[in-house]
Amino acid sequence: MNFLAPAFLAGLAAIAVPVLIHLIHRERKAVVEFPSLMFLQRIPYRSVRRQKIRHLLLLILRCIAIALLVAAFARPFFQRRQTAVGTTGAREVVILLDNSASMGYGHRWDRARDAAKKVVASLSPSDHGTLILFASEATVANDPTAPPDRINAALATAKLSSEATKFAPALKLASQIITASTLPRREVVLISDYQKIGWANHNEIGFPQGTVVTPVDLGGGASPNIAVAQVTTSRDSTGVRDHVTVAARLINTGTDPKSVSATLSVGGRDVQTQKVDVPASGAQQVAFTSIAVPSGATKGVVRISADSLTQDDELNFTIAPDEAVPVLIIEPTNPRANQSLYLSRALSIGDRPSFRVDEKSADALTPRDFDGRALVVLDEVTPPNGAVGERLRAAVASGAGLVIVPGSSRVEAWPAEWRAILPAMVGTTVDRTGDAGGTMSSLDYANPIFELFNAPRSGDFSMARFYRYRALSPVSGAAVPARFDDGSPALVEKADGAGKVLMWASTLDSYWTNLPLQPVFLPFVHQLGKDVGRYADPRPSFLAGDVLDLSRHGELTAPYTSGRGADSTSELTLEAPSGARDRVTATGPNHLVTLKEQGFYELRGPTTPTGSGRPIAVNVDPAESDLSHVDPQDIVAAVTAVNGQHAPGDLNAATPQDQEQRQKLWWYLLAAALLLLGAETALSNRLSKAAG
Amino acid sequence: MTTASAPETTFLDPSVLARIGNLELLARTVVEGFINGLHRAPHLGSSTDFAEHRAYMPGDDVRRIDWRLYARSDRHFIKEYEADTNTNFVVVLDVSPSMRYGALEGGQRLSKLTYGCFLAACLAYFSSLQRDRIGLVTIDHDIVDYVPPSGKHLQLILHTLDRVERAGRDAKAAPGQSTLLAPLQKLSESLRRRSMMVLISDLYEDPDDVVKALSHMRGRGNDMVVFHLLDPRELDFTFADSSNFIDMETGVKMPVIPEYLRKQYRDLVAAHTAELARRIGGARADYSLFDTSKPLDKALFAYLAARQRFSRVR
Repeated sequence: MNFLAPAFLAGLAAIAVPVLIHLIHRERKAVVEFPSLMFLQRIPYRSVRRQKIRHLLLLILRCIAIALLVAAFARPFFQRRQTAVGTTGAREVVILLDNSASMGYGHRWDRARDAAKKVVASLSPSDHGTLILFASEATVANDPTAPPDRINAALATAKLSSEATKFAPALKLASQIITASTLPRREVVLISDYQKIGWANHNEIGFPQGTVVTPVDLGGGASPNIAVAQVTTSRDSTGVRDHVTVAARLINTGTDPKSVSATLSVGGRDVQTQKVDVPASGAQQVAFTSIAVPSGATKGVVRISADSLTQDDELNFTIAPDEAVPVLIIEPTNPRANQSLYLSRALSIGDRPSFRVDEKSADALTPRDFDGRALVVLDEVTPPNGAVGERLRAAVASGAGLVIVPGSSRVEAWPAEWRAILPAMVGTTVDRTGDAGGTMSSLDYANPIFELFNAPRSGDFSMARFYRYRALSPVSGAAVPARFDDGSPALVEKADGAGKVLMWASTLDSYWTNLPLQPVFLPFVHQLGKDVGRYADPRPSFLAGDVLDLSRHGELTAPYTSGRGADSTSELTLEAPSGARDRVTATGPNHLVTLKEQGFYELRGPTTPTGSGRPIAVNVDPAESDLSHVDPQDIVAAVTAVNGQHAPGDLNAATPQDQEQRQKLWWYLLAAALLLLGAETALSNRLSKAAG
Repeated sequence: MTTASAPETTFLDPSVLARIGNLELLARTVVEGFINGLHRAPHLGSSTDFAEHRAYMPGDDVRRIDWRLYARSDRHFIKEYEADTNTNFVVVLDVSPSMRYGALEGGQRLSKLTYGCFLAACLAYFSSLQRDRIGLVTIDHDIVDYVPPSGKHLQLILHTLDRVERAGRDAKAAPGQSTLLAPLQKLSESLRRRSMMVLISDLYEDPDDVVKALSHMRGRGNDMVVFHLLDPRELDFTFADSSNFIDMETGVKMPVIPEYLRKQYRDLVAAHTAELARRIGGARADYSLFDTSKPLDKALFAYLAARQRFSRVR
């Protein structure tokens, strides 16, 4: 018998308490002087002796009750070593085959498949075999009752993945299969290169008692490897044409310095090659001379001369021209002088992102003007009605942003159909010229527009004076990211469909406020444009195993939807490097896709010809290049540990906690102790009643 | 003639008497009250009682001729009277440690020894009123104090009793050793005259030993009255808790659970007292069992009854 909490056994010392009480009680027994014991001595001793035994019974009851209580707290359990189990009978064999990118090192993958085939060959007809292929995820390749030739077929078609190694999902899956199995012998064969980065000790993974875990180690020994770990691109927009400088970081995990040639290839053509000396167990940066940014998104690859692990010898990326955010500013028919000047100038400065600003008069609007617009500004303009208004509202609902500046326009004349999407009701004009103007005092720094200004000395809104503004009453569901010092909202925003509508209480020129003259105006307008225009920084590459959310990467889907508008739910095609195609949409149900293969995915619109779609670069996880080795016995010990002791090939996999949990002896002990205590109470009551 | 018809209310509570510090005062209180009570009693105990008539013989005092009888019978008869007692009256008081048992806190109950002392004092006072020669012997396996019988020894006796009460003694007697046999034997040898003897003891003895001791006295013509004093707890054994009982005589310890021994104990005590009564009666001595919670003058009645009986048996 073992105990889960043996420290509680110290409580057995408490048995001394009733013994002492009985002793002290005896000691304290009153001494009575009696004239003569003449008669008492004549009474047979037997009757006196019987009393003692009855009290002894009470003492024994108390001692046993305490011992049982203590034992219950110590959580006892019987160690069951089912050595008999697992020596005869049919086997449940789970083959865990590592197909992560690192298994491409040398001939590991072939050796791994050979090892798996050997295991399959050893299966007898009554055995069940399951092949699990695992990298960062684990997949069952066949059902357990499949005949061995089906497993062999699955093995033959198994391919190396580009994903990183993770043992936990595979071990968990194997544990579930083994636990569910009814066969008497259970075996797990773990075929892997035992990469250290794939293993983190997961206490919750454990195989049931009696499971034999056999490691097949294909790693170990010296595994020199050079990999392209990182590629950075830096843009230079100062010239006539944008230039980009590509730099790569090469790492060497081997113990010898190596000299390799690094080649930059753009658009399928090798552009530059450099000789690089990579120090032992170190890294080396290689910078290529800058190249002109090609038009359209272009594939770029940095490749080094092949070594034992080829998958990390090249790193893919995309070079895309800057995707400007298309902005439309709508002015009234008779604008003030320079009414949109401040806004358009502020937006046109900067390149990350750049804004492509068009200005249009309200009376010259056509429905086509909103196609492809990320942001529309109604600068003191009555919202358009009719087909134009309808088109604008549709554009907003499908993701475009709309900034409404009521200014001095007559709100009563606004079309009724706009009411539903306005974030606030526009009230009277508040005149603050008398008290030298109001200020913007309450800013919600959690809002993406003002997030940037949260850091100290990063924009001072207090210098801006607002002499006039419209009193806004936010509708329900609208947020107020900024307020004036009198509490009335300065900025009100509300989501509408996939887009966002924002209302600014003052003007965007210097007519009602001096904000456009303040340094803070430019970053404020940029933040506002990025947030309302739903701009996201483009990513040059993804990692194998990443989930691509197309709704968050408008720059990928923009060329194939007719603007960020009505067609964003139309089907696009995502073609993997292997040629497999997925149907995806920019938003809607199929906007999530897992990138599994290394290379370039291609995103195409319904009419885009093959090969001219938007390339998406996917690389092997750089961590996979680190071939450090973990001792297979560590993993075996962790998943088959019993009592914290490692027993190689031990049949015990259930932890003491599990055994104790299953047996629940403490419950019975506690119940017995309570029963005894009850009996003790009854007995002592009877005795004391009789004595009284 | 019986003595037991006095009303209960006239009896004096021993615990009240215990508050009277002076033994003489105490004895007088008890005895005089008792005698006053006797005046109303249907009998008179007197030593000048008429005894018998006898024929006149020349030389007899003519004053003693019963003239009324002469008038009826025309013969001369002399009236014979009982002579005045003027006998030796000796109180033998057992002062062995077991007699010290029974005192309760607050004076609610007296120890057997105190009760015995009161009783002895009362009897001595009572007898001295009758001009008896009174003596006192205290015994504890041997004679402790001896006050020889004399008409003038009342104060000495009271003083001795007072001292007895205050003195203590350790339990050191050997088990089975008789308290009475040796001292009574000695006493009977020392007393020359026939005496009226009152033995006050708790009689933790084998009845054989008691009778043997008494028979020595009886053999010498002494009248014996035995007052057997027992505390109520000795009779009923009303102890509750299991305790270690220590024999006050011998110091022997014994763990006892009263509830299981009570019945057997009571049976044994009842058998013992019955045996004592039977055997002492058989030895022509008078035996009375006293519970120390009972009034003191009840004992005096018992004494008088006994004395009455002895005066009839000549």
